[in-house]
Amino acid sequence: MPVRYSQYLNAAAVRHRSVSYNALAPIVDGRGQKPGRISLNFNQVIELLAPYCGIRIVEQLKAVAPLAAYLMLFQLLVLRHPVDSAVTLCFGLIAVVIGLAVFMEGLSTGLMPFGNIIGDNLPKKASMFVVLVIIGILGVGVTFAEPAIGALQAFGSSVDVVKAPYLYELLNNWALPLVLMVGAGVGIAAILGTVRFVRGWSLKPMIYLAISPVFLLTIYAWFDPNLRSVLGLAWDCGAVTTGPVTVPLVLSLGIGIANAAGKGGSSLSGFGVVTMASLFPILAVLILAIFVSFSITPDEIIAAAKTAGNVVAEQPSIWDQTPLAEIVLGVRAILPLVLFLMFVLFIVLKSTLPNKMVTVYGLTLSIVGMCIFNIGLTYGLGAIGSQTGGVLPAAFMEIPVSESSPIFNIVTGLSIVIGFAFILGFGATLAEPALNALGLTVQDLTNGAFKKSMLMYSVAGGVAVGIALGVSKVVLGFDLMKVLLPLYLLGITLTIFSTEEFVNVAWDSAGVTTGPVTVPLVLAMGLGLGNAVSAIDGFGILSLASICPIVAVLTMGLVIKMINKKTEHAVTG
Amino acid sequence: MKQRTITYLTDANLITCVIQKDLAEPVLEAAKNAGAQGATISYAQGTGVRERMGLMGVTIDEQKEVIRIIVSHEQSELVFETMYLAGQLDKPGKGIMFMSALERVATYIPDDVFEKLS
Repeated sequence: MPVRYSQYLNAAAVRHRSVSYNALAPIVDGRGQKPGRISLNFNQVIELLAPYCGIRIVEQLKAVAPLAAYLMLFQLLVLRHPVDSAVTLCFGLIAVVIGLAVFMEGLSTGLMPFGNIIGDNLPKKASMFVVLVIIGILGVGVTFAEPAIGALQAFGSSVDVVKAPYLYELLNNWALPLVLMVGAGVGIAAILGTVRFVRGWSLKPMIYLAISPVFLLTIYAWFDPNLRSVLGLAWDCGAVTTGPVTVPLVLSLGIGIANAAGKGGSSLSGFGVVTMASLFPILAVLILAIFVSFSITPDEIIAAAKTAGNVVAEQPSIWDQTPLAEIVLGVRAILPLVLFLMFVLFIVLKSTLPNKMVTVYGLTLSIVGMCIFNIGLTYGLGAIGSQTGGVLPAAFMEIPVSESSPIFNIVTGLSIVIGFAFILGFGATLAEPALNALGLTVQDLTNGAFKKSMLMYSVAGGVAVGIALGVSKVVLGFDLMKVLLPLYLLGITLTIFSTEEFVNVAWDSAGVTTGPVTVPLVLAMGLGLGNAVSAIDGFGILSLASICPIVAVLTMGLVIKMINKKTEHAVTG
Repeated sequence: MKQRTITYLTDANLITCVIQKDLAEPVLEAAKNAGAQGATISYAQGTGVRERMGLMGVTIDEQKEVIRIIVSHEQSELVFETMYLAGQLDKPGKGIMFMSALERVATYIPDDVFEKLS
């Protein structure tokens, strides 16, 4: 009888044995039948831990490694500039990967159960007003916990005080109020989003209502030459807030509340919060900036910065040194959020956690992960971003750090730099896991008319164009608002003509593209680039990277609608 | 009235594999390579061992996929083993699988296929 080779291999490699389950199962004696705790030996622990850690680290590695490799290779091969302090950079990037992996695991085992329990139980036990207040405070808390927000604060010192006094003042002396205001913006957005869930409001009028004051304040700030430099920062803040902590936590609360109110279940109910959360912080930061401009003059800021620069010689305290500074930042980011969630759960709801040990483990992980990520942010992502940004102008102009600069003539060099930014945006966006999830939702929502790949490519293309535009803004120094405002106006015009579904998807697509890896990298690159070409500020890239995908997706939606109509006419006619 | 026919399939086994959610893909792939015609997948939540392991319980995903495959008697051993090995069920915490004989199976069997066989 012929034997298949594969069967032979299987028989040779696999040992078969049998044991009766009767021998394994506990003997029935009528009492104490509950099985006891399982004890594990060392090998079993390793076999359990290895895949658990492996999967999570590989996931983050997939997001970080290609981007870092792209930046380094571009710097080496095209800009012909060695990668400075490569060893530190590598350790920094490893810290980013591990920190993010640990933090995300902590988020899903520690923070998310909190959000779900509170979202399910709060509306049953508290009045609508209390629920909204808690959601508002939570908005502030999650903003602090957002990994990317640390990046904003970290780059404050690189701003030139003489060119952009208010920007310098905001980032250095008003850093805490700045984050608080951004948080307040997110909080208000979360409240409005929840009310929208429950009442079933349309998103369109809310966009118009939210964006008009933003426009008004922007135009006001634009006419004040000192405030103009703050605009880039303000519009970028909107993109920073919609990260991996805010979106799931606020959504889980909002959906729980909508379910309790009997209005859940709509496929659209998850959308809209992200949009609001990216518009209100802009408003909040602008208000803060205008407030600062009334309380202090540019000359005072410059004078204060000069005196501060003179006394810098004093020994920095141990708390300001690495890695303690990063650890303090990490603890400060997560702890308030955790304490507030505990307060709501134990005091307001008088409830307990189903699995205390796992939750404590998750919360510890999220704090530890945040600390490691912060260290990686300083030495890995931030460093490589600002380094490449700093060398980038070598392609088209003479800069001191690169001997062979300018490498190309001005037109070729500029196109290479803009092309570099375009590919960076395209690649980073396609790698973002949230985009895949959004694509699937959209495909279901439109019954396959809007294909997943089509959405992913239009969003990625939008981000790519946005980042390329942003980089050219920094290099060429044109006015951000002259590009941003027309784009937003275009977005609003398209919104008027689009259906509710597409409006929801398109405005939310901006939020998914700005993850914890992309944001610090792009911010650092923009600022490094800005310093190298001595532009006023390197902000604005992120804000362009959020409006362009909105316009792209809305346009795609309209084009698809038109094609569908045409085919319908063809069929009927 | 047209007479309708039910064709019964005999000698069929059911393989059920309960596995951690993210690990289901290689198991399915292996089953198809080993000759499985198709699979029914449902999502489920597991309980038991996780809770009794204390903190180590977090290493096992609570979300499971249940893969059900009907195989012929002759294929069953090969498919079962291939799935077991592909899912690395010989490592702790991955999942569990079992096979049971099916009394009768009925589905659409084209007439020409039936005639060729009988």
